[in-house]
Formats: sequence, C-alpha cells, structure tokens
Amino acid sequence: MLDALYHNITNRLNTGILILDSDFNIVMWNRFLEVHANKKDNNVIGKSIFTVFPELPKKWFERKLSSVIQLKNQSFCGWEQRHHLFELSHSRPITTDSHFMAQNCTFLPVEVEGEVKHVCLLIEDVTDVCHYQTQLNKALEDLALSNRIDGLTQAFNRKHWEECLASEFSRARRYNYDLALVMLDLDQFKLLNDTFGHQGGDKVLIDTAKSVNDLLRMGDMFGRYGGEEFAVILPNTDLVGAEEVAERIRQTIASNTVDYQGRSINVTVSIGVAVIEAEDTRYEDLISNADIALYEAKSNGRNRVCLAKQCPTKETIVA
Amino acid sequence: MNAFDLTEDQQDCLQELINVAMGQASDQLARYLDTFVYLKVPKIEQVKSEQLLVTLNQDLKATAVVSQGFFGYEGIRGEALLMYQPQDSNRLADLLGYEADELTFDEQIIDLSSILTTTFLNVFASQIDNQMSYSAPRLLSPNLGAVTQHLQQQAFNWDLALKVRISYQVTDYSFNCDMVLLIPEQAIINIKTVIDRILEEF
Amino acid sequence: MSTNVLICDDSNLARKQVFRSLPESLSTDVQLAKNGQEALDILRDKKIDILFLDLTMPVIDGLGVLQALKDDNIELAVFVISADVQPEMQSRVMDLGAKAFLRKPVQLDILNENLKTHGFL
Repeated sequence: MLDALYHNITNRLNTGILILDSDFNIVMWNRFLEVHANKKDNNVIGKSIFTVFPELPKKWFERKLSSVIQLKNQSFCGWEQRHHLFELSHSRPITTDSHFMAQNCTFLPVEVEGEVKHVCLLIEDVTDVCHYQTQLNKALEDLALSNRIDGLTQAFNRKHWEECLASEFSRARRYNYDLALVMLDLDQFKLLNDTFGHQGGDKVLIDTAKSVNDLLRMGDMFGRYGGEEFAVILPNTDLVGAEEVAERIRQTIASNTVDYQGRSINVTVSIGVAVIEAEDTRYEDLISNADIALYEAKSNGRNRVCLAKQCPTKETIVA
Repeated sequence: MNAFDLTEDQQDCLQELINVAMGQASDQLARYLDTFVYLKVPKIEQVKSEQLLVTLNQDLKATAVVSQGFFGYEGIRGEALLMYQPQDSNRLADLLGYEADELTFDEQIIDLSSILTTTFLNVFASQIDNQMSYSAPRLLSPNLGAVTQHLQQQAFNWDLALKVRISYQVTDYSFNCDMVLLIPEQAIINIKTVIDRILEEF
Repeated sequence: MSTNVLICDDSNLARKQVFRSLPESLSTDVQLAKNGQEALDILRDKKIDILFLDLTMPVIDGLGVLQALKDDNIELAVFVISADVQPEMQSRVMDLGAKAFLRKPVQLDILNENLKTHGFL
C-alpha cells in the first residue's frame, strides 16, 4: 500500500530522481526524467549512465560520485557552476532562451547498514531561475556600464574618468610609476556650432571621440571632461611618450574631415600635456597643470601641443 | 559578558563538542584532498549580529564565501558561511590544481566547503541527539561588499553568530578559513539546554 | 594496590567523560592535566601506570607528550583519546608507542575493552 503510494508520488514529482549503483549503472529513475530525457525505460534501467547520457563529463562525474561514496557525504552541482549535467528538455521553450533545462543537482549517498552502495541524484529544473538571474546580471552590467559612459561620445563620463585618474594617481605615487595626462579641446567649437547647428556639433564630438579612441592603447583611459573638452590618462607613460600620443592625436584630427549632411567639416584640437611631478600631491594638481598647458596651446594659436611648465623641456610648439 | 552568557563549564562543553565535530570534518577533508591535515584547536568566538558586520568588515577581505543553510529538529537551524581570504583561496587553488574536464576551482571550493560544513554539523548534531538537513551550497560573491550588504539587510534576523576559526595545515600548504554559523535565538536556547543536559550527566 | 592514572585533556568535560568511564572494579588514583606540559611535569615526578591522552591541546600537544616519553624512556600504557581520527594520525601515535587509539567522545564499553586487552582488568 505504502509502496504504491511512494511510487505514485515519485512519478508525479517535478524533480528528477535517479539512483545509481557504484558501477555507474542506473538502478531506478522516475517519470520526470523519462519524459524530459525522452528515453524508454528498457533502454535505461541496468545500463551505464554514460551510455544513456553520453553528454555527461565522464571524469568529472566519476570523481564526484566516488567522493560521495567514499566520504558518505552529500554533494551538489549548481547551475551557476554548470548550467546542466543532463541534456533534458524543459517546459519553458518559448519564454526562455536556453536550449536545455538548467539544473541544480544533489548527490545523496544511500547508506544501508553503514555502507554506501548507491547514490541518489536529485535533479531540479531551475531554468526559470537561471533565465531571470541571467537577465538581471545583464541588466546590472548594462546599468554599471551606462553609469560610466558618456551617452553621446561613448567615452567615459567625467565622474568615472576622474575616479580612474584618482586611482591611477595613487598607484603611480605608491609604486613610483610614470603617469601622463593629455587634455584636448576642440578649436573654435562655438563658431562650429553656430555654423552647422548643434547636431553638426554633436557629429563632430562623436567623430573626434572615435578618432582619439582608435589611437589609444589598452589601459589608456579616455573620458569626456566637459562640453568639447576630452582627457586621456596614460599610465606608465613619460613626457616623451605622452607628447608623441598627443601629437598623433592632433595630426589625425587635423587631417580628418567630418561629414555632416553632405558637407565636410574640418576641425583641429589644442592639447595640453602634463606628467606626474614630485611635488604633485593630489590628482587635481595634474589636471590643473595639463589645463594650463592647454590654455597656452590655445593662446599660442591653437592646433598645437603644449607641455606643462614645470617639465624640464618647458614647451614645444608644433606646426 | 558574551551573548551566549555561558558559564565556564558550558563554554568548555561547547568547545569540546566543536572539537569532536571539527576532528571528523578534518578527517573528511584529508580524505578529499588525499593528504594529511594537521589540525589546530579551533578558535570559537560568539559574535552578536550587530558586531558581526564590524568583525567581517575588519578582518575579512574574503574572496570566496560559500553559504549553506542547515536545519534540524527542535528549532536548530541557521546558515553557515565559509570564508576564505585571498591568500588562502590562492593556496587552495594551488593545492587542488585543475585539469580540463575535471572540477573547476569554484566547484572544488564549493565541494570542500560543503564537506567541512556538513561533516562538522552532522557530528555536532549527533552529539546533541539531533540530525541535520542542508540546502545546496552557494558561492556568494567574489568580493565581500555583496556579503556585508547582504548581512546588513539580514542581520536583524540573527541574534548571535558562532564564529569558528578553522586553521589547517595541509602538508606543505597551510590555509585558514573561517566558518561562521548564523543561528537564531531559539536554536541558541536549545543548544544551551542540550549543553546543560550533557553537563548534568557528568 | 591501586593503579595510578593520569588523564590529560584541555577540556574539563572530556576529562570528566574519561573519569566517569573508568570501571569501578579498577581501584585507581586519578590525577588530571590540562595540557601536555602539565602531564609531563607529573609523569617525570611520579610513577604513572596509565595515561589517557588527548592530541589537540595547547602548549604541548599529544604527539609532543608521546615523543617526550620516548626520549625520556618513561614507560607506561598510553591510550590516546582524540577527535583527530585521520588514519595517518592513528598510525603516528601507535608508532610513537601508544597502546591504543580511541575516538572521541569516548565510549564506556570501548574503554573497558581496551583496559581488558592490555591487562588492567
């Protein structure tokens, strides 16, 4: 009577039950698995689990099972570590995008008179959990990204860029690394806006940002500092290296033309360069030094690179 | 003085129950790692839930935290956290190694934590005539921020945490981890009753 | 004549558990030690017949005591009673001259059986 009851309930459970002997042969399974694996009973019972489910990672599975038998201790395998062990169909083929059922598996040692001869596997369908958690993670990532990015130019926004500078500055101080800062400002941007309209101005900002970004190395940090002002953090870079980068940026921008509604817009940038100096105690010192050099590049006729004053080479006027 | 308000005898009894449980847990660990584990006396601390956050913030920049729920009879239930410092989880990674098609490091640290937690609690429970069941272990987060944040929201549910500092030396490697058991008040009262019963017997 | 027994364990409860498990038929004079150092002080001072020894202890642990007994040529029956049940630990203490390894918490019948095996009952 009770046996029939158990049998009935086992076969109605929404959890897979699979019992294996220590030679990895299937002793019993329930309807849940029969249906989702879409295999017939007589091809399964008494057969090796690796024959019935060839997709199983054999070495992994053997190790897992032998540790359960040897230690007489239950073990788990969650979807976050392995999406699934068994290739089973699931009941959300339309509302989720995963091909196989995401699974949480529990390996239970079955102890009879102090000896473990069988292991019971419980297989739970967590396709929903997996689906929503994955979507949530993606949303959180997107959110974190949009908190760091300037929507128009795709460069880092001012806030995130400054955080980067602060941490690079303290790293450079701590380990005595070089650190350079390049600040650039589009020349005559107000005039450009007046001539081509704000949408034309936006197009110039977008194209300029892209050109600069393409010139940078991995590890350089490019941000939009203000309206038409951009800034680049160059870690482990000395004055000579920074000046090279700045000059390359200046030349590239000057030689490119921006296409806007069939018209070509020529733009130039003025650039100030500073490197970390012994007397700089805060990252803001680096910004103001680069800013002063930038101002100088502007007042000396624009479309040029100026180096910050306290640098030994003083200033170099290009072009 | 402490949240448990244990007498010296009660404290001694709890320590012994934990020593015995820890002994068997390290035996299991040794079998899992296929090596000999040198065991030190586990250090037990009782931490009030409001202090727990401070404690965790102070001495844990844990890289790996594995959480596992447990529940037994007579209202004994709670959550066990196993916390590994970066240097310890690095050593552990060296020790465990990794082969393709074998268990990943995340899987191994979950397995290892689960073995420690479940063996420890099984033996602890059997000594106080109880029996435990467990929820699936979860690797919480790669940084502590999420854990303290999580505890900040949870802390009021827990009156006391039992922190068991486990120090292992495994052949050439030594590593430490902290096992923190978060236990609700009813479970504490129950454990205390059981301790008194044991003490009366002797 | 009574048997001189020393129980060495850092836990009061564990010492009591051993003490209560001693059979009434054995007339004993029991002394207690809280760690390996205390035990060695007593052992060097006085003739002890049976030592019940824990392993995981502060100051000097059980292995340290066994080693010191060996070095000092102190002969007596040592029964190790420990929670550290790893097979390698069990063989280590036997190699160091212990008569038997008993797992914690100590069981009355197992303790008596061991005393019988080694001729104390």
